[in-house]
Amino acid sequence: MQKGWNRVIPYLLILPNVLLFAVFVLVPILWIFYLSLTDYSMLSAPVWTGLANYSRLLHDSIFHRAVANTAWYWIGTVVPGMAIGLVLANLLSMKLRGLAAFRALIYLPGVISSVAVAMTWLWMLDPAQGPVNPLLEFFGIEGRNWLGDPATSLETVIVIGVWTGIGYAMIVFLAGIQSIPESLYEAASLDGASGFRKLWHITVPLLKPMTLFLFITATIRSFQVFDLVYVLTGGGPANSSTTIVTQIIGASFQEYRMGYAAAMAVFLLAATLVVTLIQYGIGSRNQAAE
Amino acid sequence: MKLSKLERTAAYLALALFSAATVLPLLTAFFTSMKGDEEFSLGAMRLLPASWHPENYARAMRMGDWPTYFKNSAIVTAVAVAGSLAFNSLAGFSFARLRFKGKQPIFLTLLVGMMVPAQVVVIPQFLILKSIPLFGGNDWLGAGGNGWLDSYYALIVPELAGAFGVFMARQFYLQFPRALDDAAYIDGAGYLRLFFSVYLPQSGPLLATLGIFKFVAVWNDFFHPLIYTNSEAMRTLQLGLQVFRGEHQVQYNLLMAASLLVSLPIVVMFFVFQKQFIRSMVASSVKG
Repeated sequence: MQKGWNRVIPYLLILPNVLLFAVFVLVPILWIFYLSLTDYSMLSAPVWTGLANYSRLLHDSIFHRAVANTAWYWIGTVVPGMAIGLVLANLLSMKLRGLAAFRALIYLPGVISSVAVAMTWLWMLDPAQGPVNPLLEFFGIEGRNWLGDPATSLETVIVIGVWTGIGYAMIVFLAGIQSIPESLYEAASLDGASGFRKLWHITVPLLKPMTLFLFITATIRSFQVFDLVYVLTGGGPANSSTTIVTQIIGASFQEYRMGYAAAMAVFLLAATLVVTLIQYGIGSRNQAAE
Repeated sequence: MKLSKLERTAAYLALALFSAATVLPLLTAFFTSMKGDEEFSLGAMRLLPASWHPENYARAMRMGDWPTYFKNSAIVTAVAVAGSLAFNSLAGFSFARLRFKGKQPIFLTLLVGMMVPAQVVVIPQFLILKSIPLFGGNDWLGAGGNGWLDSYYALIVPELAGAFGVFMARQFYLQFPRALDDAAYIDGAGYLRLFFSVYLPQSGPLLATLGIFKFVAVWNDFFHPLIYTNSEAMRTLQLGLQVFRGEHQVQYNLLMAASLLVSLPIVVMFFVFQKQFIRSMVASSVKG
């Protein structure tokens, strides 16, 4: 076996990562639990308050609004995004001309920063100057201040969220479809199966791993939505589009209630872990079935 | 699959419709960036500019210190990409090919860390960056000043702690046959020689994938610069776009010009490396 230097080298190779991980991930996780049990404004040392922050969370109607909004954003973006992505992936799996171009164009919004995306939509939706309202009026839909109206602000952010995420779902589904052997479809054709039956009985079941993966990652990402909301509406008007992360940032870096914000962060972490554990549950059950 | 003419037409129509839905807003942004100021006061809506004003791009760059924003984003992205590639590939190699005590528990801890959202740890990270000793006016106990906050360190160093990158690198290096290592050992190579002369030359696909991920993540990052910096001199491009907001009248032609310029490097990279780009997105889903 290797001697001398070679005994230390494995540790040296992982050291930078492990050290950085410890300082910027591991310690912060423990710290966030501690902070959530204190009152801390950054000006003086944290004061131990036990579960007070958590019991305040239970009665904070704005935080409840943020949780409900995040749940809406989750439902509103994940399912439509995946459904549209699946349809597009199916269209793109046909042998048509110009597929690469369509694929690139549909994926394009996914690479642009959420700030630039938000800026573009701020312009599109501007009630006085933007092109969306005149376009809608052409189709007989009355225009309004979509982002500035509490009745529609969250829904408008959701539509933009779907718009940015479709390309990724499409690419992952497309990769899945391309790994399905052509012979399965040929056999089904010989049995006289229609295009739709092939989709429902061959494509959809075989895409289960991709579906599960997309569902989990999109869910986790929707729990963390911040940039879009921050730039488009700032969480307003009147908290109508605020989310869990907007509340965390507001409470910590604007109001300096670090302990209270930490309790919200623990809530977000718990929600994320629950979703991830369910994924493992479903994933391992699937493996057992196979 | 054989398609009938009708199916083919329907498919094209649907694809064209969806492509239009993704591209039209971006195209509108481009046309808007070329419009003259006077077009906005007229109120008449038209897609194409009445007259073209490419000088809008130069004008937009004069609102705010854009050379500095570009420089900051470029430095932070370049160093974060280079640093994380080095750290991730070395650690991934060590976890995949070398034997050492405590390997499994350390790797498992990293895996758990992958699931923790950045937004959850941002408060303690901020406090840690603020109390780095002997930086930014801090004493050796880390008190008194701002530490690494509002510096390149705050934007770069936490980005290097990538559990996801280590995981991808380990998966990649696990694919090689054991015989490859044994041959190198028989030739008298040590671990470092094994990495640098056997594995590194084969790492092209891995480094491309990780590099693309990091580039996009850091270049597009808005969250961390927003919280870890506050001075004009440390602003990155994504923060710079905010310059155009806050006033009562937004000059949309200039705002769109700046948004497109900020997106340009990513879009160019996307079209040049389209194949790699898409492959790396898929790799993250299949392996991740």
